[in-house]
Amino acid sequence: MIGWILLGAVVLFVLWVIIIFNSLISLRNNVQNAWKQIDVQLKRRHDLIPNLVSSVRGAMEFEQDTLEKVINARAKAVSSVGTRDRAGAENMLTQTLGKLFAVMENYPDLKSNVNIMQLQEELTSTENKVGFSRQLYNDLVANYRTRQEVFPNNIIASLFSGFQKEEYFEAAPAERLVPPVNINIRKRQTC
Amino acid sequence: MPITFIDIERQKSWRIIIFLSVLIALYFMISIVIVAPFYLTFPLGISFHGPFPPGPSTFIKVFIFSIVIASIHFCLSSLNAVEYIKKGLGAIEPDKEDEIHRQLVNIVDEIQIAAGGKVKIQCLVIPTLSVNALSAVDLRGRAIIAITEGLLSRLSRPQLETVVAHEAYHILSGDCLETTAAASLFAIPSSAIDKAGAASEGRIFLAPAFLFAWLMVKVSYILNMFVSREREYRADAGAVRMTRNPLALAEVLYMLSRHWKGAGCIGAGIEMLCIMNTSDSALDESEGWLADLMSTHPPVNKRIKILLNMARAGLSALKDRLKEGPGGNFTETSRELFYALDNKYQWQGPFTMTELALLPWLSADTWTSNNGDAVAKASQTPLAEVIFTKRFADDRRAVSGYLCPSCRHPLTPETYEKTKIYRCGFCGGALVDDVKLPRIIVRKDVRYSERITALSRMTLSENQLKTINRNKNRSAGAVNLLHCPKCGSRMNRTFYSMAYPVELDRCSYCGLSWFENDELEILQCMIDNRMASTNPSL
Repeated sequence: MIGWILLGAVVLFVLWVIIIFNSLISLRNNVQNAWKQIDVQLKRRHDLIPNLVSSVRGAMEFEQDTLEKVINARAKAVSSVGTRDRAGAENMLTQTLGKLFAVMENYPDLKSNVNIMQLQEELTSTENKVGFSRQLYNDLVANYRTRQEVFPNNIIASLFSGFQKEEYFEAAPAERLVPPVNINIRKRQTC
Repeated sequence: MPITFIDIERQKSWRIIIFLSVLIALYFMISIVIVAPFYLTFPLGISFHGPFPPGPSTFIKVFIFSIVIASIHFCLSSLNAVEYIKKGLGAIEPDKEDEIHRQLVNIVDEIQIAAGGKVKIQCLVIPTLSVNALSAVDLRGRAIIAITEGLLSRLSRPQLETVVAHEAYHILSGDCLETTAAASLFAIPSSAIDKAGAASEGRIFLAPAFLFAWLMVKVSYILNMFVSREREYRADAGAVRMTRNPLALAEVLYMLSRHWKGAGCIGAGIEMLCIMNTSDSALDESEGWLADLMSTHPPVNKRIKILLNMARAGLSALKDRLKEGPGGNFTETSRELFYALDNKYQWQGPFTMTELALLPWLSADTWTSNNGDAVAKASQTPLAEVIFTKRFADDRRAVSGYLCPSCRHPLTPETYEKTKIYRCGFCGGALVDDVKLPRIIVRKDVRYSERITALSRMTLSENQLKTINRNKNRSAGAVNLLHCPKCGSRMNRTFYSMAYPVELDRCSYCGLSWFENDELEILQCMIDNRMASTNPSL
């Protein structure tokens, strides 16, 4: 009788380990899939930037410095390896692109060029897609980390070598700032 | 709230079962009403069907019959609900040549990524000037987000993102399936009957159909009781979660609450699919159990307040922001006008840059003037490079293949109000697809010069007189009608509307309208400045 009870307990324990192991595997795959989605969007961004730079170069003679910065940031982003390095390089590229878009506003000729506006819309859309993919990725990483760290999942996770902590794709420092419009609104409210 | 939208998508709704049960109950009651006279006549000595009162087997038969009929009705309505809605609203796929439509397609793609990319959402445009948006998903899993042309053209990119995110959340959370199922049972067929009635110009033999449609709308309001108005709060929160921009959504709701939301254009009964109720209802703006039971949309002011709290902003700040300027699609594109001295030494113009570049007699030696200011040869002005580069480019570019119906010059494609039209470089006329007219009217990229404003006033008064004369001498006038550049058939000369009497030639076969020089701008100017006809005879 005791033997059967022990056997039942062991079977239950093994089943429990299997369930937790499988759920962690599933979460890890979701995280990896989300990272691949970011990768697709980043690749598209890298492909679009040279077209934009070559299209606007003629009209923006006095902004060569800004254009050079975009090209350098792109080169760095393409060559970077690893989540942390890549996130840093991509954030730098986001910032330089933001500056380029801001400078482009000063050139009405560019705004009237349909092809450039189309290219800019494509890049803006890709930027947003990168942002949304990153958001989804970070949500999934948070979920995965929580499931990894809560008791007793942390015991199972530590028993197997495949469950490393996934890195967050951190936002660029500029993106963390409160949008200026909200600052104005708060000032008005406090007055 | 689940951690990702993938989790939300997994949640299934039980309300579909309720709708089916209501439908079964409805058919059961109708069947009983039909069957009852056969039994009620029994006490009078006339026996049609068994003893009175009827036994349980009769009720079971009626119940099974009701289940079968209700299931057939449910499947027929709900399986193709998206297709019926598309047809009912006349919704079209986005125009790939239109900048704002391309932007919409991009935004829908972005939001699908934010939602985990698990649901394929098709975006559509409803060609109406009203402002509203809706989402629908049927039992086959086809999901659509439809946005009216009026809303699309008025919103900035971030605002449009929040609208799409709001509608996408309805689809992902599953509540859209409930509302679509509820709407598909009675409201969508009734809208179709209404539309057919409008097309038949109110023929008397269709009166029973109208009565039936009216009854179906009333029955659909019973189903509204099972549609929770809380879902709009959840969708607002979901949209904010996806876009992180509560202020933009608050701006959209504020704007929606102050414009025509499509009453009369979006069928009665399907307003529950929309971001905001199409008609202004006092019930929608009130709270309490009755409003919760009968209304499908929560008070808009409360929704705005919640969103503003999230953004830590006040209503006055929101109003100030909206006063500062319209949406981001509004760009200041000045329309510079030029004059050119022709071969007979007479000043011609004013021309826009495109028109100037297309003048066949323009050369490097032609004298030109910008807005009547300094006169200089074309080669000595900064315009020269633009004009001649464009001309060389045009030589290589294929023209549209259409000839101007007035002067037989080839028409060239042109981007006007971010959409494609065909313009005659010689006479300045414009060929516009009828589907694109609402979006051109609602967009405000083009600024009108004083000349256009003056012309608009003149056209309004002249055409009022013309209409009166035409009405008086209807049989007298053989009007020189133009031929359609596409199919060659004669176009009808008509006014855009009685309120805005701008004359245009319309081909009803191809759905194309021809505007003479400046008439398109005049029409836009009239509508923008509300220079409607005041003549009582019109």
